[in-house]
Amino acid sequence: MESIIIAQMAVSGAFMGLVYALIAYGFQLTYATSKSINFGQGELVMFSAFFSLTLINVGLPYWLVVPGGLLFGAVLGLFVERAGVRLALEQKSEGWILLTIIIGLFGFSAAENIWGRDDRPFPTPISSDSFQVFGVSITPLEISVAIGVLAVMGLIELFKRKTLLGKAFEAVSADRDAAELMGVSATRTIMLSYGLSGMVAAMAGILVSPITTVGPTMASALILKAFAVAVVAGLDSGFGVVLIGLFLGALESLASFYIGSGWREAPGLILLILALAVRPNGVFGKASIRKV
Amino acid sequence: MWKRLLFIRGTELVALALLASIPLAVDNSYVLGLLTLLAIYGILLIGLDVTVGYLGQVNLAQAAFLGLGAYAAGLSVSLLGFGIFGALAVSLLVGLVLGGLLAFPALRLEGPQFALATLSFSALSVTVLNEWESLTGGAQGLHVTRPDLFGLHLKAQGFYWLCLILLALVWMAMRNLLSSQWGRAFEALRDSPIATDAMGVGTFRHKVAGFALGSGLGGLAGGLYAFNFEYLQPQTYVYDLMVILLLGVVLGGRKSLWGAFVGASLIALLPNLLSNWLMFEVISAIGLLVALAAGVRGLMKKTTKPFQAIAPVIAMGLLVGGGFLVENTENWRKAIFALMLFAVVVGLPEGLMGFASRFLAQLFRIDPPALPAPAELNTVLAAKAANGEALLELRDLKRYFGGVKAVDGVSMTVRAGQVHGLIGPNGSGKSTAVNVISGLYAPTAGEVLLHGRALPQGSLFKVARVGVSRTFQNLQLFGELTALDNVMVALKGVYRSPLPLVLLGFARGEEKRAQAESLALLELVDLKDQARTRAKDLTYGAQRFLEIARALARKPDLLILDEPAAGLAHPDVNNLVEIIKRIRQCGITIVLIEHHMDVVSELCDAVTVLDGGRVIAEGTPDEVKRDPKVIEAYLGVVSEAEAPGAIPSPA
Repeated sequence: MESIIIAQMAVSGAFMGLVYALIAYGFQLTYATSKSINFGQGELVMFSAFFSLTLINVGLPYWLVVPGGLLFGAVLGLFVERAGVRLALEQKSEGWILLTIIIGLFGFSAAENIWGRDDRPFPTPISSDSFQVFGVSITPLEISVAIGVLAVMGLIELFKRKTLLGKAFEAVSADRDAAELMGVSATRTIMLSYGLSGMVAAMAGILVSPITTVGPTMASALILKAFAVAVVAGLDSGFGVVLIGLFLGALESLASFYIGSGWREAPGLILLILALAVRPNGVFGKASIRKV
Repeated sequence: MWKRLLFIRGTELVALALLASIPLAVDNSYVLGLLTLLAIYGILLIGLDVTVGYLGQVNLAQAAFLGLGAYAAGLSVSLLGFGIFGALAVSLLVGLVLGGLLAFPALRLEGPQFALATLSFSALSVTVLNEWESLTGGAQGLHVTRPDLFGLHLKAQGFYWLCLILLALVWMAMRNLLSSQWGRAFEALRDSPIATDAMGVGTFRHKVAGFALGSGLGGLAGGLYAFNFEYLQPQTYVYDLMVILLLGVVLGGRKSLWGAFVGASLIALLPNLLSNWLMFEVISAIGLLVALAAGVRGLMKKTTKPFQAIAPVIAMGLLVGGGFLVENTENWRKAIFALMLFAVVVGLPEGLMGFASRFLAQLFRIDPPALPAPAELNTVLAAKAANGEALLELRDLKRYFGGVKAVDGVSMTVRAGQVHGLIGPNGSGKSTAVNVISGLYAPTAGEVLLHGRALPQGSLFKVARVGVSRTFQNLQLFGELTALDNVMVALKGVYRSPLPLVLLGFARGEEKRAQAESLALLELVDLKDQARTRAKDLTYGAQRFLEIARALARKPDLLILDEPAAGLAHPDVNNLVEIIKRIRQCGITIVLIEHHMDVVSELCDAVTVLDGGRVIAEGTPDEVKRDPKVIEAYLGVVSEAEAPGAIPSPA
C-alpha cells in the first residue's frame, strides 16, 4: 500500500514538474539569445492565466481561448523586453534583473486589484475523472498537461532548426557579434526570444490553472520551482529541463506528503542552492572556458 | 583641507545632533516610531549597499537577514535569557555566519545566478520561520520583550537613542572600512574578478567578507527591529520588503552612506505618505516634474537615450493619473513602489545622493584631500639580483582544449634580469602559455617552475601571491576606480592592519604610505598627473600603461606583459619602450609577448618563437629573425612550383 501511495505522489508531482519545466524552458529561450531572464516570469504566467480566464468568462470557446492567451503572453513578453531588458543590455549592465523584478511586482499588484486576491477555478473541457494505471490514478487533465508541454517545446525546437528565423535565433545564441556581422539583427532576435518565452509562459499558465486554480500567489509558487529546474538542469541544457522538472515535481510532492505541505518548496530551493554551489552550469549544462 | 573636514564631518555631526534632539522637542509617539524605524532601516541599508553598491550584485536576501536577526534576538531573550546587547550580538552573529555560508555557493556566481541564490535563500528562510512552529510560533507570530539595559527599562525614547547610537557606530566603522583597502577590493571585484585574482587581492575572501558583513548588519537591524515592534511574523520579511529595500538603496544612491540614510528616510516615510491621497498626488506630481525636467534636459544635451528620458515620465505620469482613477491608493502600494523604482532605476541610476554629491562638491568647491609626495622608486621596487640565473622554467608544458592542442610541449627558460620575448603568429599558443603560467588555466601536462620551485597551478590568485604579475591583452582595469586606486588595490606589502583596527580607523597611516608608493609607480609610467582620473575615462594608451603600473604594484619577480603595444599609436609605442627599459633597470625580469618586431629587437635579450603550440626557434632577436623556420611561420613557404612564373597553365 505504501508503495502505491509513493508512486501516486511521485506521478502527480511529476505532471506538475512538467509545467515547471515548460516555464524553465522559457528562461532558456531568452538566456540563449541575451544571457538574461525575466525575473517576473511568474507574474507573466499568472497574468496570462487571468486573462485567459476572462476570455472564458466572456464566453469564448476553449479553442479560441488558448490562442488568445498565448498571443497575450507573447505581447507581455515583448513588453518586458522593451521596458525592462533592452536598455540594460545596451549598457551591458545587469539592471535587467532589478527591472524585470519591478515589472513583475507591478503586474502582481495590478492583478490583485483587477481580479482580486482570491484563487479562482479555471474551467476546462478536459475531464478530470481519473483512471487507473497500475494502481496509480491519472486524469486526462494531467495527460493534457504532458502533451501540451511536450508539444510546445517540440514545436519551438522544430522552429529553431527548420526555419530561417529559427536559424537566426541559433546564430545569435552561438555568437551574438558574429551573427550581427552576418546581417542578423540581435535586437530583433532577442525580441523574438522574449515573445516566444512569454508565449511559453502563457501556455504554462493555461495548462496548470485547471489543476491549481488561478490567483495572484500562483506567480511566486511557480517561479521559484521553475528557477530551480532551470538552474539545476543548466540554463543552456535544452531538454534537460524535462528530466529535472519530472524529478523535482515528484520530489516536492513527496516532501509535502512526508514532511508537511509547508515544506513543499524546500527541496527545490535547497537543490537550487546546491546546484549553484557545485555545478553552476547545471547537470546538463556545459562548462564554459574563461577567456581574457 | 579644513573646509572639507568642516563640511563633511560637520554635516554628519549636525545631522546626528538634530536626530537625537527631535524627541526632546516633539513629544509624539508616532514621530518617535518613525525615527526609530529610520535608524533601523539606516543600518539595514548600509549593509545592503555593501553587496548592491560595492560588490555590484543584486542581493535579494537582505529582508531574510532582517527576519533571521529579529527571530534570533527574540529567541535569545526568551529562551536563553540574554540581555539586550547579548541578544543584539547574537543577531549580528547570525547574519554574519549565515551570510558567510550563503556566500560560499554564491561565490563563483555573477549576476542572475547570484540573485537566484539569494532569492532561494530568502524563500527558504521564510519557509523555515513559518514551519518550525515549536521554535518560532509559525504564522501565529512570536512575542518579544525588550530586555532591560543595565537594569534600566528602556522606554521608546531611550530605545530610539540606542538605535541612533548604533547607527552612528555602524556609520563610522563602515566609513573607515569602505575607504580602506577593503572598500577598494570590493569595487575591484565588481569591475573585474579576473584582474582581482591576478593582482593577488583575492575574490574569494573579499566576496565572502563583503557579503557576510552586509548580512551581519542586516541581522543587527533585525535585532533592533524585534525589540522595537516586540512582535514578529514570518510574512513580514518576504519579497515585497526586499523590493522596498532595493528601492531605498537605489533611490538614495549606491556606494554612499548618505545615500543609504536618505533611502532609509524615504522608505520609512513612504508608506505613511502614500496613505494620504493628497500627499500621494503631490509627491507623484513632483516626481513627474522632475522626470520631465531631467528627460527634456537629457534629450537636449543628448546625454540620455530617448527611452531613458521617456520611460520615467510615463511611469510617473501613470502614478499621477492612476491616483485619480483608483479608489484607494493603499491597495496599489506594490504597484506604486514598482513605478517609482522603475522611474529611478531607468532615469536616475546614480540615485539622489549620487546626483546631489556632485552638485554639492561643485557648489562648495570641495577639493579631494591632498596626495602625499611620491615615494622613491627604489624603495618601492627593491633592486633584485639580475644574475642571469634561471628564474622561470617551463618543462614540456601542454594545454589542450578538447582536441585543440593550444600549447603542445613547450620548454623554455627565462633568466633573471632579462627581457624575454615570446613571439609567434596568431594562434601559435603564446596567450595560452601565459594564461597557464599565470594560473588562469591549469596545464594539461608539464611543469612550471619559479626559482626552481613548482608554481601553483590553475589559480591566478596563488600565482600572483608568489611573485608573478601580469597585464592583459584585453584590458582588465577596474573601470570605476581612479588610476591611483587601481594601483593601490594591487599594492603588496603595505596593508597589515587587521580588520578590527581598520574598522576603528587606525589604518590611515598605511593608507598614506600606499598612496605615496602608488604615486611613484604612476610616475614611472607617466600617469602621475592623472591619478584622480577614473580608469575608464583614461585614453586607451594611458589604460595600457596603467595596467603595467598596477602589475608592478605587486612588486613582482616576474612581470608578464601580454601584447602591451597592441593598438598603441606610434608615440605611445616609444613611451612603452622607455617604460619597459626603466622597469628592467629595477631588476624585474620580464616576459614580453609582442607582435611589433622593432619593439622586440630593441628590448629583448632572448626570444622564444612559438608556432602551432611548439617552440620553433630560440636565441637572440637577430638570430631568430634570420631563422628560416621563423620566416616560414610568419610568411609561409615559397616553393619552386608555386613561385611566380611557374604557375601551371590550365589544361
